[in-house]
This record gives sequence, C-alpha cells and structure tokens, in this order.
Amino acid sequence: MSRWVAEGLGTQLDAFRLGPVDLDLRPGRAVAVLGASGAGKTTLLRTLAGFVRVREGRLLRDGTDITDWLPEERELGYVPQGLGLFANRTVEGNVRFPLEVRGRMDQAARTGELLERFHLTPLARRYPARLSGGEQQRVAIARALAAEPELIVWDEPWQALDVQARYELGLVFQELRETERVPVLVVTHDPALAFSLADTFLVLDHGRVRWQGDAPALLDHPSDPFVARFVGFENVYDRESLERGNPGQFRAWLRERAGSDGVAFSRPVVAGSGAGSGPWEGVVQSARPTPEGLAVSVVVDDLRVALRLAPPWTSPLPSVGDRLRFGMDDTRVHPLGSSFPQDRP
Amino acid sequence: MSAGVAPPRRRRVRTGPYWLALQLVLAGSLLLLFILPVVALFTYAPFSRILSAAGDPAVRAALWLTFFSSGIAVLAAVVFAIPLGYLLARRSFRGRSVVESLVALPVVVPHLLVGLGLFFLLVVPGTPLYRLTTALGLPVYDTIWGVVLVMVFVSAPYTVLASDLSFRAVDERVLEAARSLGAGSATVFLLVTLPLALRGIVAGLLLTWARAVSEIGGLLILAIYVLPGGPYNGPVTSTISVYIYSLFQGGDLADAAAVSSLFLLIAFVLFLLVRLGERSGWVPWRRGELGP
Repeated sequence: MSRWVAEGLGTQLDAFRLGPVDLDLRPGRAVAVLGASGAGKTTLLRTLAGFVRVREGRLLRDGTDITDWLPEERELGYVPQGLGLFANRTVEGNVRFPLEVRGRMDQAARTGELLERFHLTPLARRYPARLSGGEQQRVAIARALAAEPELIVWDEPWQALDVQARYELGLVFQELRETERVPVLVVTHDPALAFSLADTFLVLDHGRVRWQGDAPALLDHPSDPFVARFVGFENVYDRESLERGNPGQFRAWLRERAGSDGVAFSRPVVAGSGAGSGPWEGVVQSARPTPEGLAVSVVVDDLRVALRLAPPWTSPLPSVGDRLRFGMDDTRVHPLGSSFPQDRP
Repeated sequence: MSAGVAPPRRRRVRTGPYWLALQLVLAGSLLLLFILPVVALFTYAPFSRILSAAGDPAVRAALWLTFFSSGIAVLAAVVFAIPLGYLLARRSFRGRSVVESLVALPVVVPHLLVGLGLFFLLVVPGTPLYRLTTALGLPVYDTIWGVVLVMVFVSAPYTVLASDLSFRAVDERVLEAARSLGAGSATVFLLVTLPLALRGIVAGLLLTWARAVSEIGGLLILAIYVLPGGPYNGPVTSTISVYIYSLFQGGDLADAAAVSSLFLLIAFVLFLLVRLGERSGWVPWRRGELGP
C-alpha cells in the first residue's frame, strides 16, 4: 500500500480558495476531514482525486509527484456524496466496472469474491434504485475495492444511513484498515462518527485548516472555540464572554484557566441523586434524559453550563429553577488559543 | 377562548371530486381534439379502401421512401445531433447562446423557408455548393438527398435539445466516480454517460423521426418528386405527406383519406411497440428504473 503526502496543497474554485493543506496518509491509517457545510471538504477530496486543478503545492504517492495525473491514473477510490452508483447497471455490473475498464481476465471471479465478502451475492442482479441505503454503501465500497485502490477517499459515508447501517459501515472500515491496509480519508460534518473511525483529524473552516492532529491531541487541546464546538465540547466560552458580565467565583476560576481564546470543557458529571456536590452552584434551566444520562443545563454567574446527571437517578429529578451543585478538576478544562497550525507539524 | 363555548364548526367543502372532474374535462378536451380528426379520416375511408391502399405499389413506394429517408435522417441525428447536445450540456464556451438559438431556429422557421433556403444554397446553378454536390454526384433537387437534407434540417433540433437536457441530467459525481475507478473520458462517455442519458435521447430521436416523416413544407420546394438515384432505386415517387397532398389536390378525397389512415395506423403501431418495449423493460434505455 502506498503512502500519500500532500504538501501545501491549494486550489481555487471561482471565489473559493482552499489550502494550503498538508496531509500524510500512511497505509492502515484513517484521516477524517471535518468542517461545516461550505468549508471546502468536498473540494479537498475532489482535488486529491484529480478533478480540481491544483494551484499550489503538490501531491506525492510513495514519493512520486502525481499532482498533474489524470483521475483515472491515480489508483484512488473516490466515493462521492450520494455514492455515484451506476443506475443502469446491476449490483454485479457496478462492482465489475473497474475490472471491465481494465480488461482484467479474472473479472467474474474477482467480482464474485467481492460480492460474497460484502454479502451482496443475493442482490447481484438488482439495480441500485432497489437497494437500501446500507446495501448501496456496500456496493460502493465493493466497487471501489475492485479497482484495488491505493487510497480510499469517501465523501460523507454516513449520510442518510440508519443506526444499524452506520454500525455495519463502521465494521467495514475497520476491516479495510486491518486487512487491506488501505489508507482511508473520509469527509464528514459529524465529529462523533469521525472519532469512531479516524485516528487523525483535519478541521477545515472556509477553506483553511483550523486544526490538524490525532484524536487525543484534538480533544486535549482544541485550538479555538470553533474547533472545540466542532469536535463536540458542550461548554465553550471565548475570552470575551469570560471577561464581561458579573465576575463571580466560577467565572473567575474559568478565567484563570483560559487561554488567549477562551476555555472548553465537556459536561461535568454530577451524581444522579440529591442536589449534587462541589464548589459551584447553578440554577437549572432545562433537563432531558439521554442514553448517557440526564442532560441538564444550569446557569452560574450568567454562564450557561451543560452538566450530566449519571444514572441511577432518584426522584425528584431536578426541575427548572432548582439549584444544583457541581464540580470538576483542572484536568478537564482545556485552554483555547494555541498558535496552531503554524507552529506544529 | 371562554370555557364551555365551542367555536362554530365550519363545514368543510369537499373539493376533491370537482378538482378531479376539472382535470378530466380539460385533459379530455385535448384528447378529443387528437382523436376526432382521426376518427373522421377512418370514417371517410372504409377499411377495404385502406387495405387496397396498402396493396397499391405507388403507395408502397411512397411509404418506403418516407421510412427509408427518415431512417437516414435519424441516423444523421445520431451522428451529428447527439454530439452537439453533449457539447452544449458539458462545455461552457463563448457564443453558447448563439449556438442554442441556432439550434432552435429550425423549430420556429416556416418550413417553406427551409426549402427555399436550401434551394438557393444547393440548387441554383453557379453556387459553390451546387458545383460541389454536382461534382460529388450528390444532386439534391428531386432526389433522396434533398429529402434527407430537409428532414435533417427540420427534425435534428429535437435530438439536440433532448440530448442536451439528458446529458445535463446525468449526475457529475457519478461520472467522477467512474473516472476514479479507472475509466478514461471516452470510456466514461460510452459506458456511463450515454447509457444514463439514453432514455431522453431516444425520446428525442423518436420526435426527430416523427417530425421527419411528417415534413412537407420544405419538400414541396426541394423534392416534390423523388427520382431514383443514390441509395434510392425505386420508382419515381414522393414522400407520403407530399403523396397525400397531391391526392387531395387532385380531388381524390377517398384515396387521400385511405392513405392517411394507413399511414396513421403504421405510425401508431410503431409508437405503441416502442412504449410497450419500454414498459416491459427489454429496451436498454430503461434499465435500472424498474428494478429486477
């Protein structure tokens, strides 16, 4: 399997500028490109796949400069949003397509093997329009693998999938990395799914890289409020909101721990019985049950804080206007405001 | 709202049946307009007369010429109009609007003008194209080449427009997936783009064919009679529309009605066969829509 490196890759589509982007995709690794709609995620994928002309930087495959190679020469399995299945071909015809265009002699055998592996054999003669979302995903991945790609880039793999199909897709990705060792790059706007798959993350915002690194680093040190919110921190305060307003003790405590851009922390956990314990006290604004516990929102020193009440709960559950105590240790609080990405590789 | 006092219930008028009736009346009126003239034709021409028209060598020659020349016109549309539609759908270039207007021109221009234009271009001795066609042995006046030229002029735009729309409707991402799977641009066109756009293109080709067989205006100037020559070596005849027109002009109303009815029957059966083929799924351009 190849190692793919993007060095300062940049492009422009009309008024939209993307880059510079640095990437290092090694065999068996998975990178998630995160970002809101319009951040440039799809453009980055299409640039890697060869559909958008590179304006600056270069793309290397095992040290060979392939920046100007045609899409069909790159040996890169690109799965676009919506999967790009051929509606006029059966499942079998879709999977056989890459073998057909290569004039491979073992078309039937290889297609049969892939259909079997992705549990598609009973569906072989169906057309894509008659498949469920999860089945279509399996066809897309089987078809991409038929070409024996050196890299798989997948735009929004989880889009429009139900929970079960997402779970199955997760297993497929896991298998890809373990057995095929194909590097995988996925684009998503859902951080939870990205964490379930990728070991490296790239957060894009308006075409610029806002953060890049592995999962522990990302969770430990989100660079700024945007990235912190994006990767799923529920309590994010920028510097400005910490500075203004009534300076109570909680606000002062946070301010001490904040970086130049503010501070972020995940939901502090409160025992599910009584009025809680800890140095801070908030007034309950809302409470709703979730699989992880009771999600409670309180206000302390004019700051809204999201808490989690761990089960088992004892009644009465907190209701609006109740007072609830909570605490957290320093290690859970992440200062925001590094000078990333300039000073990190 | 005060407690205990229920608001007066508004009686809901059921508009559904009226709405349906309105649709049926409007749609039915148009269908009547389509059907009644046909009924009139068949009433005027008894079935025995239609049968004898079918056996008449002169009618057969006219029918053969019409189907043969319109077949060549459809082939020409396949070769020239589909690429133009593809170009319009997939490339942006200067003067695009001009090209689009040019394509629409034959649809709006009275067809007598088309005949006249081609006449001045190719038939008046001394013009460069007259000399060229004569030198090549492809004279157009009163030959099958003239018929085909007029037919292509008036009918190919339907294939251009249909191909343009159909190629546009093919999702770019599907084509990118195909490229990335190792297919070059030409392979993607042949194996993916064309099959996916085929249904619309075939609809355009059907319109092209229909427009070609029904052409008369241009032919009245360029090829009222068609002499044997080129790929046509039958007797001197006309296309079926001109043939019927001359029967009518000659006051032969019953024959005009019989030949018209015969032609209508053939055209109807042909269209019906195509539609049935599409419904049954054995035609390649409907694959994937109907499931296994």
